[in-house]
Amino acid sequence: MQAPGSTTIPALDVNAPDFSITSPEVHAAREESWYATTPYGIAVLRYEQVSRLLKHPKLRQGSVSWPAHHGVTEGPFAEWFASWILNKEGDEHHRLRRLMNPAFSPKLIGGLVPRFQALATELIDNFEQPGQCEFVSEFAEPYAARVIAIMLGIPEEEWPIIARESVTIGLALGVTIREDLPEIEAALKNLYAYCDDLIADRRANPREDFVTALVNAAHGDDARLSDTELRDAMVLLIFGGFDTTRNQLGLAMQTFAQNPDQWALLAEQPELGRAAVEEVMRVNPTVRWVTREVLEDFEYEGVELKAGTTLHLYTESAGTDPRVFEGGFDIAAERKPHYGFGGGAHHCLGHFVARSDMSEALPLLARKMRDLQLLPGSEWLPDSGNTGPMRLPIAFTPGN
Amino acid sequence: MKVTVDMTLCEDHGQCAIAAPEVFRINDDGHLEYEGEPSDELEEYVEEAADVCPVQAILLGA
Repeated sequence: MQAPGSTTIPALDVNAPDFSITSPEVHAAREESWYATTPYGIAVLRYEQVSRLLKHPKLRQGSVSWPAHHGVTEGPFAEWFASWILNKEGDEHHRLRRLMNPAFSPKLIGGLVPRFQALATELIDNFEQPGQCEFVSEFAEPYAARVIAIMLGIPEEEWPIIARESVTIGLALGVTIREDLPEIEAALKNLYAYCDDLIADRRANPREDFVTALVNAAHGDDARLSDTELRDAMVLLIFGGFDTTRNQLGLAMQTFAQNPDQWALLAEQPELGRAAVEEVMRVNPTVRWVTREVLEDFEYEGVELKAGTTLHLYTESAGTDPRVFEGGFDIAAERKPHYGFGGGAHHCLGHFVARSDMSEALPLLARKMRDLQLLPGSEWLPDSGNTGPMRLPIAFTPGN
Repeated sequence: MKVTVDMTLCEDHGQCAIAAPEVFRINDDGHLEYEGEPSDELEEYVEEAADVCPVQAILLGA
Protein backbone atom coordinates (compact mmCIF):
# COMPACT_ATOMS: atom_id res chain seq x y z
CA MET A 1 0.00 0.00 0.00
CA GLN A 2 1.64 3.25 -1.13
CA ALA A 3 0.12 6.69 -1.20
CA PRO A 4 1.15 8.98 -4.02
CA GLY A 5 3.86 11.52 -3.36
CA SER A 6 6.49 11.29 -0.69
CA THR A 7 4.34 11.27 2.45
CA THR A 8 5.16 8.48 4.85
CA ILE A 9 2.23 6.48 6.05
CA PRO A 10 2.03 6.29 9.84
CA ALA A 11 1.78 2.86 11.48
CA LEU A 12 -0.32 2.31 14.61
CA ASP A 13 0.31 -0.64 16.93
CA VAL A 14 -3.29 -0.97 18.07
CA ASN A 15 -2.56 -4.23 19.94
CA ALA A 16 0.03 -2.64 22.26
CA PRO A 17 -1.28 -2.79 25.84
CA ASP A 18 -1.04 0.98 26.30
CA PHE A 19 -2.48 1.92 22.89
CA SER A 20 -5.18 4.59 23.07
CA ILE A 21 -7.24 5.35 20.01
CA THR A 22 -7.85 8.90 21.25
CA SER A 23 -4.18 9.59 21.99
CA PRO A 24 -2.06 12.45 20.62
CA GLU A 25 -0.24 9.75 18.58
CA VAL A 26 -3.42 8.94 16.63
CA HIS A 27 -4.29 12.61 16.21
CA ALA A 28 -0.76 13.32 14.96
CA ALA A 29 -1.08 10.43 12.48
CA ARG A 30 -4.32 12.02 11.24
CA GLU A 31 -2.39 15.20 10.44
CA GLU A 32 0.17 13.22 8.43
CA SER A 33 -2.22 11.13 6.38
CA TRP A 34 -5.89 10.20 6.04
CA TYR A 35 -5.00 6.64 6.98
CA ALA A 36 -2.51 4.61 8.97
CA THR A 37 -1.47 0.98 8.76
CA THR A 38 -2.30 -1.36 11.65
CA PRO A 39 -1.78 -5.08 12.37
CA TYR A 40 -5.37 -5.63 11.12
CA GLY A 41 -5.18 -3.62 7.92
CA ILE A 42 -5.72 0.10 7.76
CA ALA A 43 -7.15 2.72 10.10
CA VAL A 44 -9.09 5.59 8.50
CA LEU A 45 -8.54 8.77 10.48
CA ARG A 46 -10.21 11.77 8.80
CA TYR A 47 -13.86 12.76 8.66
CA GLU A 48 -14.24 12.98 4.89
CA GLN A 49 -12.78 9.53 4.23
CA VAL A 50 -14.60 7.91 7.15
CA SER A 51 -17.86 9.36 5.83
CA ARG A 52 -17.21 8.05 2.34
CA LEU A 53 -15.85 4.62 3.22
CA LEU A 54 -18.60 3.96 5.77
CA LYS A 55 -21.04 3.79 2.86
CA HIS A 56 -18.77 2.56 0.10
CA PRO A 57 -20.41 -0.11 -2.10
CA LYS A 58 -17.16 -2.08 -2.40
CA LEU A 59 -16.93 -2.60 1.34
CA ARG A 60 -18.96 -4.88 3.57
CA GLN A 61 -19.51 -4.83 7.31
CA GLY A 62 -16.28 -6.26 8.64
CA SER A 63 -16.87 -8.32 11.78
CA VAL A 64 -18.45 -11.35 10.12
CA SER A 65 -15.29 -13.49 10.30
CA TRP A 66 -14.47 -12.65 13.92
CA PRO A 67 -15.45 -16.01 15.51
CA ALA A 68 -13.84 -17.99 12.67
CA HIS A 69 -10.59 -16.02 13.10
CA HIS A 70 -10.55 -17.36 16.65
CA GLY A 71 -11.33 -20.96 15.75
CA VAL A 72 -15.07 -20.78 16.49
CA THR A 73 -16.69 -22.12 13.33
CA GLU A 74 -19.67 -24.14 14.55
CA GLY A 75 -22.08 -24.48 17.44
CA PRO A 76 -24.76 -22.21 18.89
CA PHE A 77 -22.63 -19.07 19.14
CA ALA A 78 -21.23 -19.29 15.60
CA GLU A 79 -24.76 -19.84 14.30
CA TRP A 80 -26.18 -16.94 16.23
CA PHE A 81 -23.35 -14.62 15.17
CA ALA A 82 -23.92 -15.53 11.52
CA SER A 83 -27.61 -14.69 11.97
CA TRP A 84 -26.91 -11.09 13.05
CA ILE A 85 -28.46 -8.56 10.73
CA LEU A 86 -25.14 -6.74 11.07
CA ASN A 87 -23.41 -9.70 9.45
CA LYS A 88 -25.84 -10.02 6.52
CA GLU A 89 -25.47 -8.21 3.22
CA GLY A 90 -27.53 -7.58 0.10
CA ASP A 91 -31.10 -8.82 -0.31
CA GLU A 92 -31.09 -10.87 2.84
CA HIS A 93 -29.94 -7.89 4.88
CA HIS A 94 -32.49 -5.61 3.27
CA ARG A 95 -35.37 -7.99 3.95
CA LEU A 96 -34.47 -8.26 7.66
CA ARG A 97 -33.98 -4.53 7.90
CA ARG A 98 -37.34 -3.76 6.29
CA LEU A 99 -39.09 -6.13 8.66
CA MET A 100 -37.33 -4.85 11.76
CA ASN A 101 -37.28 -1.12 11.08
CA PRO A 102 -40.91 -0.31 11.96
CA ALA A 103 -40.49 -1.69 15.50
CA PHE A 104 -37.69 0.86 15.99
CA SER A 105 -39.67 3.75 14.52
CA PRO A 106 -39.32 7.13 16.26
CA LYS A 107 -43.14 7.22 16.54
CA LEU A 108 -43.24 4.11 18.73
CA ILE A 109 -40.32 5.25 20.83
CA GLY A 110 -41.72 8.73 21.48
CA GLY A 111 -44.39 7.18 23.69
CA LEU A 112 -41.75 5.77 26.02
CA VAL A 113 -40.19 9.11 26.96
CA PRO A 114 -42.14 9.56 30.23
CA ARG A 115 -40.99 6.11 31.33
CA PHE A 116 -37.36 6.92 30.54
CA GLN A 117 -37.68 10.09 32.65
CA ALA A 118 -39.32 8.27 35.57
CA LEU A 119 -36.64 5.59 35.46
CA ALA A 120 -33.75 8.07 35.46
CA THR A 121 -35.30 9.99 38.35
CA GLU A 122 -35.89 6.84 40.39
CA LEU A 123 -32.32 5.64 39.95
CA ILE A 124 -30.74 8.98 40.90
CA ASP A 125 -33.03 9.38 43.91
CA ASN A 126 -32.00 5.93 45.14
CA PHE A 127 -28.22 6.44 45.15
CA GLU A 128 -26.92 4.88 48.34
CA GLN A 129 -24.94 7.88 49.55
CA PRO A 130 -25.81 11.54 49.18
CA GLY A 131 -23.39 13.41 46.97
CA GLN A 132 -21.58 10.30 45.77
CA CYS A 133 -22.22 7.31 43.51
CA GLU A 134 -20.56 4.54 41.58
CA PHE A 135 -22.11 5.68 38.32
CA VAL A 136 -21.89 2.42 36.35
CA SER A 137 -23.56 0.08 38.84
CA GLU A 138 -25.94 2.67 40.31
CA PHE A 139 -27.06 4.33 37.10
CA ALA A 140 -25.65 3.37 33.69
CA GLU A 141 -26.10 -0.38 34.02
CA PRO A 142 -29.62 -0.49 35.51
CA TYR A 143 -30.74 2.34 33.21
CA ALA A 144 -29.51 0.63 30.03
CA ALA A 145 -30.93 -2.76 31.06
CA ARG A 146 -34.30 -1.40 32.25
CA VAL A 147 -34.75 0.60 29.04
CA ILE A 148 -34.47 -2.73 27.23
CA ALA A 149 -36.96 -4.28 29.64
CA ILE A 150 -39.35 -1.39 28.88
CA MET A 151 -38.85 -1.89 25.14
CA LEU A 152 -39.48 -5.63 25.39
CA GLY A 153 -42.41 -5.21 27.76
CA ILE A 154 -40.93 -7.46 30.44
CA PRO A 155 -40.98 -6.73 34.19
CA GLU A 156 -38.32 -4.11 34.90
CA GLU A 157 -37.15 -5.95 38.04
CA GLU A 158 -35.85 -8.70 35.75
CA TRP A 159 -33.17 -6.32 34.44
CA PRO A 160 -30.24 -8.13 36.15
CA ILE A 161 -30.85 -11.11 33.82
CA ILE A 162 -30.41 -8.82 30.81
CA ALA A 163 -27.28 -7.27 32.29
CA ARG A 164 -25.68 -10.52 33.41
CA GLU A 165 -26.24 -12.54 30.24
CA SER A 166 -25.26 -9.62 27.98
CA VAL A 167 -21.98 -9.13 29.82
CA THR A 168 -21.22 -12.85 29.42
CA ILE A 169 -22.06 -12.84 25.71
CA GLY A 170 -19.86 -9.76 25.37
CA LEU A 171 -16.87 -11.98 26.16
CA ALA A 172 -17.27 -13.22 22.60
CA LEU A 173 -15.96 -9.89 21.31
CA GLY A 174 -12.72 -10.37 23.23
CA VAL A 175 -9.67 -12.27 22.06
CA THR A 176 -10.37 -15.06 24.60
CA ILE A 177 -13.62 -16.01 22.85
CA ARG A 178 -12.56 -19.64 22.43
CA GLU A 179 -11.84 -20.35 26.08
CA ASP A 180 -14.96 -18.44 27.20
CA LEU A 181 -17.17 -20.28 24.72
CA PRO A 182 -18.95 -22.68 27.15
CA GLU A 183 -19.94 -19.76 29.37
CA ILE A 184 -21.00 -17.66 26.37
CA GLU A 185 -23.17 -20.44 24.98
CA ALA A 186 -24.84 -21.03 28.34
CA ALA A 187 -25.77 -17.32 28.50
CA LEU A 188 -27.05 -17.47 24.93
CA LYS A 189 -29.23 -20.45 25.81
CA ASN A 190 -30.76 -18.56 28.73
CA LEU A 191 -31.61 -15.54 26.58
CA TYR A 192 -33.03 -17.80 23.86
CA ALA A 193 -35.41 -19.39 26.36
CA TYR A 194 -36.37 -15.95 27.60
CA CYS A 195 -37.09 -14.61 24.11
CA ASP A 196 -38.92 -17.78 22.99
CA ASP A 197 -41.35 -17.26 25.88
CA LEU A 198 -41.85 -13.62 24.96
CA ILE A 199 -42.53 -14.38 21.31
CA ALA A 200 -45.02 -17.12 22.21
CA ASP A 201 -46.76 -14.79 24.63
CA ARG A 202 -47.15 -11.93 22.12
CA ARG A 203 -48.40 -14.31 19.46
CA ALA A 204 -51.11 -15.40 21.89
CA ASN A 205 -51.69 -11.97 23.46
CA PRO A 206 -50.79 -9.17 21.04
CA ARG A 207 -50.18 -5.75 22.57
CA GLU A 208 -49.32 -2.29 21.29
CA ASP A 209 -45.64 -2.89 21.84
CA PHE A 210 -42.25 -3.51 20.35
CA VAL A 211 -42.27 -7.33 20.47
CA THR A 212 -45.76 -7.51 18.96
CA ALA A 213 -44.60 -5.15 16.20
CA LEU A 214 -41.72 -7.51 15.43
CA VAL A 215 -43.91 -10.63 15.62
CA ASN A 216 -46.39 -9.08 13.17
CA ALA A 217 -43.79 -7.44 10.96
CA ALA A 218 -44.75 -7.54 7.29
CA HIS A 219 -43.52 -5.64 4.26
CA GLY A 220 -44.68 -6.15 0.69
CA ASP A 221 -43.64 -9.55 -0.65
CA ASP A 222 -41.01 -10.16 2.05
CA ALA A 223 -41.49 -13.42 3.92
CA ARG A 224 -42.30 -12.68 7.57
CA LEU A 225 -39.71 -13.14 10.29
CA SER A 226 -39.51 -16.79 11.30
CA ASP A 227 -39.47 -17.72 14.98
CA THR A 228 -35.74 -18.34 14.76
CA GLU A 229 -35.13 -14.99 13.08
CA LEU A 230 -37.24 -13.26 15.71
CA ARG A 231 -35.40 -14.91 18.55
CA ASP A 232 -31.98 -14.23 17.05
CA ALA A 233 -32.89 -10.60 16.45
CA MET A 234 -34.26 -10.08 19.95
CA VAL A 235 -31.18 -11.52 21.60
CA LEU A 236 -29.05 -9.29 19.39
CA LEU A 237 -31.02 -6.23 20.37
CA ILE A 238 -30.70 -7.07 24.07
CA PHE A 239 -27.00 -7.59 23.68
CA GLY A 240 -26.40 -4.71 21.27
CA GLY A 241 -28.51 -2.23 23.18
CA PHE A 242 -27.22 -2.90 26.67
CA ASP A 243 -23.49 -2.43 26.84
CA THR A 244 -23.35 0.32 24.22
CA THR A 245 -25.82 2.46 26.18
CA ARG A 246 -24.16 1.69 29.52
CA ASN A 247 -20.73 2.58 28.13
CA GLN A 248 -21.92 5.72 26.35
CA LEU A 249 -23.56 7.08 29.51
CA GLY A 250 -20.33 6.57 31.47
CA LEU A 251 -18.34 8.29 28.72
CA ALA A 252 -20.79 11.19 28.79
CA MET A 253 -20.10 11.69 32.51
CA GLN A 254 -16.38 11.65 31.85
CA THR A 255 -16.70 14.32 29.16
CA PHE A 256 -19.01 16.53 31.20
CA ALA A 257 -16.79 16.24 34.30
CA GLN A 258 -14.08 17.80 32.13
CA ASN A 259 -16.48 20.51 30.92
CA PRO A 260 -18.28 21.81 34.03
CA ASP A 261 -19.71 24.90 32.29
CA GLN A 262 -21.43 22.64 29.73
CA TRP A 263 -22.87 20.46 32.51
CA ALA A 264 -24.28 23.56 34.23
CA LEU A 265 -25.73 24.72 30.91
CA LEU A 266 -27.46 21.37 30.38
CA ALA A 267 -28.97 21.56 33.88
CA GLU A 268 -30.38 25.00 33.03
CA GLN A 269 -31.53 24.07 29.52
CA PRO A 270 -32.78 20.46 29.46
CA GLU A 271 -33.93 20.95 25.85
CA LEU A 272 -30.24 20.68 24.95
CA GLY A 273 -30.36 16.97 25.92
CA ARG A 274 -30.55 15.81 22.33
CA ALA A 275 -27.65 18.03 21.22
CA ALA A 276 -25.68 16.92 24.28
CA VAL A 277 -25.93 13.28 23.19
CA GLU A 278 -24.67 14.17 19.71
CA GLU A 279 -21.81 16.29 21.01
CA VAL A 280 -20.70 13.59 23.48
CA MET A 281 -20.83 10.93 20.77
CA ARG A 282 -18.77 13.14 18.48
CA VAL A 283 -15.85 13.56 20.87
CA ASN A 284 -16.22 10.46 23.09
CA PRO A 285 -18.08 7.65 21.29
CA THR A 286 -18.21 4.17 22.85
CA VAL A 287 -17.85 2.60 19.40
CA ARG A 288 -14.27 3.73 18.79
CA TRP A 289 -14.05 2.09 15.41
CA VAL A 290 -16.47 0.81 12.80
CA THR A 291 -15.18 -2.19 10.86
CA ARG A 292 -15.40 -2.76 7.11
CA GLU A 293 -13.90 -5.40 4.82
CA VAL A 294 -12.93 -4.91 1.18
CA LEU A 295 -15.17 -7.04 -1.09
CA GLU A 296 -13.17 -6.62 -4.32
CA ASP A 297 -9.89 -4.87 -5.17
CA PHE A 298 -10.29 -1.16 -5.86
CA GLU A 299 -8.32 2.06 -5.70
CA TYR A 300 -9.34 4.78 -3.29
CA GLU A 301 -7.51 8.12 -3.12
CA GLY A 302 -4.44 6.56 -4.70
CA VAL A 303 -4.39 3.55 -2.37
CA GLU A 304 -4.87 -0.01 -3.64
CA LEU A 305 -7.35 -1.72 -1.36
CA LYS A 306 -7.16 -5.50 -1.76
CA ALA A 307 -10.12 -7.83 -1.27
CA GLY A 308 -10.23 -9.12 2.29
CA THR A 309 -8.42 -6.10 3.81
CA THR A 310 -9.89 -4.90 7.10
CA LEU A 311 -10.57 -1.18 7.48
CA HIS A 312 -11.19 0.36 10.87
CA LEU A 313 -12.95 3.72 10.62
CA TYR A 314 -11.96 5.74 13.71
CA THR A 315 -15.00 7.59 14.98
CA GLU A 316 -13.38 9.88 17.55
CA SER A 317 -10.56 10.79 15.20
CA ALA A 318 -13.12 11.68 12.49
CA GLY A 319 -15.32 13.51 15.02
CA THR A 320 -12.47 15.74 16.15
CA ASP A 321 -10.90 16.22 12.70
CA PRO A 322 -9.82 19.89 12.62
CA ARG A 323 -10.58 20.02 8.87
CA VAL A 324 -14.26 19.84 9.77
CA PHE A 325 -14.75 20.70 13.43
CA GLU A 326 -13.64 23.64 15.53
CA GLY A 327 -11.97 22.55 18.74
CA GLY A 328 -13.74 22.29 22.07
CA PHE A 329 -16.87 20.71 23.46
CA ASP A 330 -19.99 22.83 23.04
CA ILE A 331 -23.51 21.39 23.25
CA ALA A 332 -25.01 24.56 21.82
CA ALA A 333 -22.87 24.52 18.63
CA GLU A 334 -24.13 23.44 15.21
CA ARG A 335 -22.06 20.44 14.13
CA LYS A 336 -21.89 18.08 11.21
CA PRO A 337 -23.10 14.54 12.03
CA HIS A 338 -20.82 12.16 13.92
CA TYR A 339 -20.43 8.48 13.01
CA GLY A 340 -20.85 7.00 16.46
CA PHE A 341 -23.84 5.01 15.16
CA GLY A 342 -21.90 3.80 12.13
CA GLY A 343 -23.54 4.53 8.79
CA GLY A 344 -24.77 3.28 5.45
CA ALA A 345 -26.85 0.13 5.17
CA HIS A 346 -25.72 -1.01 8.63
CA HIS A 347 -26.45 2.27 10.42
CA CYS A 348 -27.38 1.38 14.01
CA LEU A 349 -30.96 0.07 14.04
CA GLY A 350 -31.52 1.17 17.64
CA HIS A 351 -30.28 4.74 17.34
CA PHE A 352 -33.67 6.37 17.90
CA VAL A 353 -34.00 4.45 21.18
CA ALA A 354 -30.45 5.26 22.26
CA ARG A 355 -30.79 8.92 21.34
CA SER A 356 -34.11 9.18 23.10
CA ASP A 357 -33.17 7.43 26.34
CA MET A 358 -29.82 9.21 26.70
CA SER A 359 -31.24 12.63 25.86
CA GLU A 360 -33.78 12.18 28.67
CA ALA A 361 -31.21 10.88 31.16
CA LEU A 362 -28.46 13.48 30.72
CA PRO A 363 -30.41 16.66 31.60
CA LEU A 364 -31.91 14.94 34.67
CA LEU A 365 -28.44 13.85 35.75
CA ALA A 366 -27.15 17.39 35.16
CA ARG A 367 -29.90 18.87 37.33
CA LYS A 368 -29.57 16.38 40.18
CA MET A 369 -25.79 15.92 40.14
CA ARG A 370 -24.16 19.34 40.11
CA ASP A 371 -20.41 20.05 40.17
CA LEU A 372 -19.29 16.62 38.98
CA GLN A 373 -15.99 15.35 40.24
CA LEU A 374 -14.51 12.05 39.12
CA LEU A 375 -13.10 10.14 42.12
CA PRO A 376 -10.17 7.72 42.16
CA GLY A 377 -10.98 4.04 41.60
CA SER A 378 -12.40 4.10 38.06
CA GLU A 379 -11.81 1.05 35.86
CA TRP A 380 -11.85 1.19 32.08
CA LEU A 381 -12.16 -1.09 29.09
CA PRO A 382 -9.25 -0.78 26.63
CA ASP A 383 -9.44 2.42 24.56
CA SER A 384 -10.19 0.73 21.23
CA GLY A 385 -13.06 -1.27 19.73
CA ASN A 386 -15.92 -0.58 22.15
CA THR A 387 -14.83 1.32 25.23
CA GLY A 388 -16.21 2.81 28.43
CA PRO A 389 -15.87 2.69 32.21
CA MET A 390 -16.58 -0.50 34.17
CA ARG A 391 -16.47 1.50 37.42
CA LEU A 392 -16.83 5.26 37.68
CA PRO A 393 -17.01 6.74 41.19
CA ILE A 394 -18.30 10.31 41.09
CA ALA A 395 -18.78 12.99 43.75
CA PHE A 396 -21.33 15.76 43.20
CA THR A 397 -23.47 18.39 44.86
CA PRO A 398 -27.06 17.14 45.05
CA GLY A 399 -29.49 19.28 43.05
CA ASN A 400 -33.29 19.13 43.05
CA MET B 1 -47.79 12.08 -3.52
CA LYS B 2 -44.86 14.46 -3.24
CA VAL B 3 -41.48 13.55 -1.79
CA THR B 4 -38.73 16.02 -1.00
CA VAL B 5 -35.36 15.15 0.48
CA ASP B 6 -33.45 17.90 2.23
CA MET B 7 -30.12 17.36 0.49
CA THR B 8 -28.31 19.56 3.02
CA LEU B 9 -29.19 16.93 5.64
CA CYS B 10 -28.96 13.78 3.50
CA GLU B 11 -25.92 11.66 4.37
CA ASP B 12 -26.45 8.95 1.71
CA HIS B 13 -26.90 6.21 4.32
CA GLY B 14 -29.41 4.60 1.94
CA GLN B 15 -31.93 3.38 4.52
CA CYS B 16 -34.73 4.87 2.39
CA ALA B 17 -33.52 2.80 -0.57
CA ILE B 18 -33.89 -0.33 1.53
CA ALA B 19 -37.39 0.62 2.76
CA ALA B 20 -38.76 1.87 -0.59
CA PRO B 21 -36.45 0.78 -3.45
CA GLU B 22 -39.07 1.80 -6.06
CA VAL B 23 -38.68 5.43 -5.00
CA PHE B 24 -35.16 5.87 -3.64
CA ARG B 25 -31.85 4.51 -4.85
CA ILE B 26 -28.18 5.01 -4.18
CA ASN B 27 -26.39 5.53 -7.50
CA ASP B 28 -22.99 4.18 -8.48
CA ASP B 29 -21.30 7.27 -7.04
CA GLY B 30 -22.87 6.49 -3.68
CA HIS B 31 -25.36 9.36 -3.78
CA LEU B 32 -29.12 9.41 -3.35
CA GLU B 33 -31.49 9.68 -6.31
CA TYR B 34 -35.26 9.65 -5.85
CA GLU B 35 -38.61 9.93 -7.57
CA GLY B 36 -40.24 13.20 -6.47
CA GLU B 37 -43.82 12.19 -7.33
CA PRO B 38 -44.27 8.48 -6.70
CA SER B 39 -47.58 6.73 -7.15
CA ASP B 40 -49.93 6.87 -4.17
CA GLU B 41 -49.84 3.06 -4.02
CA LEU B 42 -46.32 3.32 -2.66
CA GLU B 43 -47.35 5.59 0.19
CA GLU B 44 -46.88 2.97 2.90
CA TYR B 45 -43.30 2.31 1.84
CA VAL B 46 -42.44 5.95 1.34
CA GLU B 47 -43.71 6.71 4.84
CA GLU B 48 -41.54 3.92 6.16
CA ALA B 49 -38.57 5.38 4.31
CA ALA B 50 -39.19 8.79 5.87
CA ASP B 51 -39.55 7.17 9.28
CA VAL B 52 -36.29 5.23 9.15
CA CYS B 53 -34.10 7.99 7.72
CA PRO B 54 -31.36 8.34 10.37
CA VAL B 55 -31.12 12.10 9.79
CA GLN B 56 -34.87 12.58 9.17
CA ALA B 57 -34.27 14.36 5.86
CA ILE B 58 -37.36 13.11 3.99
CA LEU B 59 -40.43 15.34 3.77
CA LEU B 60 -43.75 14.04 2.48
CA GLY B 61 -46.57 16.07 0.96
CA ALA B 62 -49.97 15.34 -0.53
